Amino acid sequence: MTSTTRLDLLDPAEVARLGGIEIVAAGVVEGFLAGLHRSPFRGFSVEFTEHRAYQPGDEPRYLDWRMLARSDRLFVKQFEEETNLRAMILVDASRSMAWRGAPERLTKRAYADRLAAALALILLRQRDATGLVTFDQAVRQVVPARVKAGQWSRLVRGLLATPDGRGTAAHDALRHLTGLLARRGLVVLISDMLFDRDLALTALRYLRHRGHQVIVFHLMDPAEAELVGPPEVRFRDPESVASVVVRPRELARAYRETVRREIAAWRSACRRHGIAYHHVTTDLPFGVALRLLA
Amino acid sequence: MSFLHPLALLGLAAAALPALLHLLHRRTPPELEFPPLRYLSDAERRSARRLRLRHLLLLLLRTALIVALVLAAARPLVSTRGGGRVHAPTALVVVLDNSLSAGAVVDGRPVLDRLKVATRTVLRRLAVADRCWLMLADGVARAGTAEALLSAVDSAGIDPRRLDLVAAVTRAAALVDAEPLPAREVHVVSDLQRTALTGTVQPPRGVRIIALAATGAAPPNRGIAVVRPTERAVAVTIGGTPGTPAGPVTLRLRTREVGRALAAPQATVTLPLPSSPPGWWVGEAELAPDELRADDRRPFVWRVPPAARVSAGPTVGAFLSAALAVLTEGGRVAVGSAPPSAAGAPEVTFGERPGPGGGAAGTASASVVIPPADAALLGPANRALAAHGVAWRFAAPGTPGPLASATLGTLAGVQVTRRYRLEGVRGEVGRDSAVVLATVNGEPWLVRAGTVVLVGSRLDTGWTALPATPAFVPFVDALANRLTRGETEIAEAEGAPRVVFTLRGADTVGATVYGPDPRESDLTPASRALARRVLGGADVLNDGEFAAAAFAGTRRADASGVLLVLALLLAGAELGVATLTP
Repeated sequence: MTSTTRLDLLDPAEVARLGGIEIVAAGVVEGFLAGLHRSPFRGFSVEFTEHRAYQPGDEPRYLDWRMLARSDRLFVKQFEEETNLRAMILVDASRSMAWRGAPERLTKRAYADRLAAALALILLRQRDATGLVTFDQAVRQVVPARVKAGQWSRLVRGLLATPDGRGTAAHDALRHLTGLLARRGLVVLISDMLFDRDLALTALRYLRHRGHQVIVFHLMDPAEAELVGPPEVRFRDPESVASVVVRPRELARAYRETVRREIAAWRSACRRHGIAYHHVTTDLPFGVALRLLA
Repeated sequence: MSFLHPLALLGLAAAALPALLHLLHRRTPPELEFPPLRYLSDAERRSARRLRLRHLLLLLLRTALIVALVLAAARPLVSTRGGGRVHAPTALVVVLDNSLSAGAVVDGRPVLDRLKVATRTVLRRLAVADRCWLMLADGVARAGTAEALLSAVDSAGIDPRRLDLVAAVTRAAALVDAEPLPAREVHVVSDLQRTALTGTVQPPRGVRIIALAATGAAPPNRGIAVVRPTERAVAVTIGGTPGTPAGPVTLRLRTREVGRALAAPQATVTLPLPSSPPGWWVGEAELAPDELRADDRRPFVWRVPPAARVSAGPTVGAFLSAALAVLTEGGRVAVGSAPPSAAGAPEVTFGERPGPGGGAAGTASASVVIPPADAALLGPANRALAAHGVAWRFAAPGTPGPLASATLGTLAGVQVTRRYRLEGVRGEVGRDSAVVLATVNGEPWLVRAGTVVLVGSRLDTGWTALPATPAFVPFVDALANRLTRGETEIAEAEGAPRVVFTLRGADTVGATVYGPDPRESDLTPASRALARRVLGGADVLNDGEFAAAAFAGTRRADASGVLLVLALLLAGAELGVATLTP
């Protein structure tokens, strides 16, 4: 695979057409890892485990110079993590995630599934115990964090087995998660964040308080960032009966300002509580989204 | 404010369209799913006040745009102080005084030319919605389009008749007052002769009168005012502008000059007439040419009748006998039977019964029948009248009263204290054979039936005061020489100078002498104050002011242009507000 065909840098919708989640995630991760000069998630251990053929992007400091002298070939040394990182990926499967602003784009849910699968693959390759929780107004699927073989397939099945939900109650799901995460670890939340910010932040703060590293991917369709539509339209909330009649053209600027203010509020609140916050639109290549974590 | 096309105002109903469309359009918007509805609600809540203002502004702009367009289509007319080019629909009478005096030449130009220019200026500004009449010196109000009236003005010449300006303006004001139009005006285009302004116009409320002022000082003028032929002489009275120096007056019979004198206005000169044989004679008095030529000549007619031979019995009374004696002495009548040399001279019998030859029209004998003093003889008198084929008879006594006569002006007002009513025999009163010459209390008092003249009273002071008046002898003269022959007095009438004879068969029985009204000769203009007072407070203006003042009371400017500009600005503002990204 050449650098010009790296899946992680292609349009997500185009990449998604190549196959199922596993294929797409694997392709994305391959491209992603190939483009990095160092591994994104370094473990805490320095205990040598095995050699691996050098790949462009590997840091030179891990080169085994002795092997080079003996065999005239480049090998890098790989190390076993001394302490296992336990990562839980939380995917919002609410009704609002099943929406897309244009037919040629992925739904937020589809984007979230593929991002979560790629992320899990990266973590598992680093031998971090990785688990999955999907939720809408309740927790729908829970795949406990493991590092054993076949874990990635279980995670992917867990994603596929979660249908599109209805409402969203993230704080309930997050509170439920605290019971599942007995040890400190990494929590990655992938959601469109269309729920009560204060309640969700309370739950995230609680996780942070328990010593978890928390990362938030705020997913948004590009059509949600800019208000467009017919001259006059009744917009209906897919998760409730609420609706409102607006003229998109005359409300576009105010809406754009509101979205910008909302994102700024999430970013500010997360930063204040030591939570990593990333705003991602569904037309952003997966590799770029993953690089936000590097 | 008024409108040229008021029906277009029905389009104002379209002003409700923006609001209706807004309401109708809001009912069925398409429905779409949109997850971040909370952002949308928040944005709407924050923008609600601004959006409400924007919607209201757009609604107002669109409504105002439609209103402006509709109003522009209705062509509104607004009052202006300056020179608006249009005016409200106006009922207008232009009184163009083309009477005789307008023919005067002032500064080398006929006055009528100046009056026509002013009239054309007004008529050319008529609008389609106006209603206009043109009134000339004949007093007839001609309605028509601007083109037709302009043509009438072009063809109008000097009319020999006098225009009674006050009466004409009064009728014109009443005419426009009856029109249901917003404005009513009377324009008086006249030389404003002082003599034409007698009386006062009382214009109806809302009728505006403007008059063209006279120019300069009174032009000098002399005119023949009156020519009165008398016995062997003619009295010529000169009219004209006071202060005009005397000028020569020439008297002509046919083309022969028979007399000449020098006379100034308001003077009367008497010129001798040559002795003439019996008959109708026509002469003419003429002045030297001056500023007004139309009044410089006036014809006259006099009658030299053949002296009638009269006979009167003793029953006619002392007064009539004395009058006949005076006439006989003056050669106006002769007494006794006609000599062979006087063949053709009529014979007239005065008595209580018709004479022997009277009765049949066309004969040379005539009778003047007075009622008998004794009422018992009334029956035989009536039978004698009937026997002579007279269709009138003496009836019961009538009430006393004053005399009235259209043909015998000198009898008017003379008291009659005793009389018999004259009544026609039923079915025998022919229109041509009987003429009522004088009346008392509306009942016939003097009647001519063929060659017989019936008098309702005896010509005695016990019956009527007539014998005691100076008119008595001329009356008897008229009875003998004129009335019994069916002749009438020489009449005078207004018109172009000429003589028209009245004929009955082959006989000339009367004449009418036409001439201009003497008052037309006085060209003294009225002052502005007098004209204003007489013409009901009219604005009396010079030429320039007159042209500017026409329709000034209702002058309007067409505001449709301003409204179209306003509509354009509103459309631009609407476009800006509608397309401006909030």
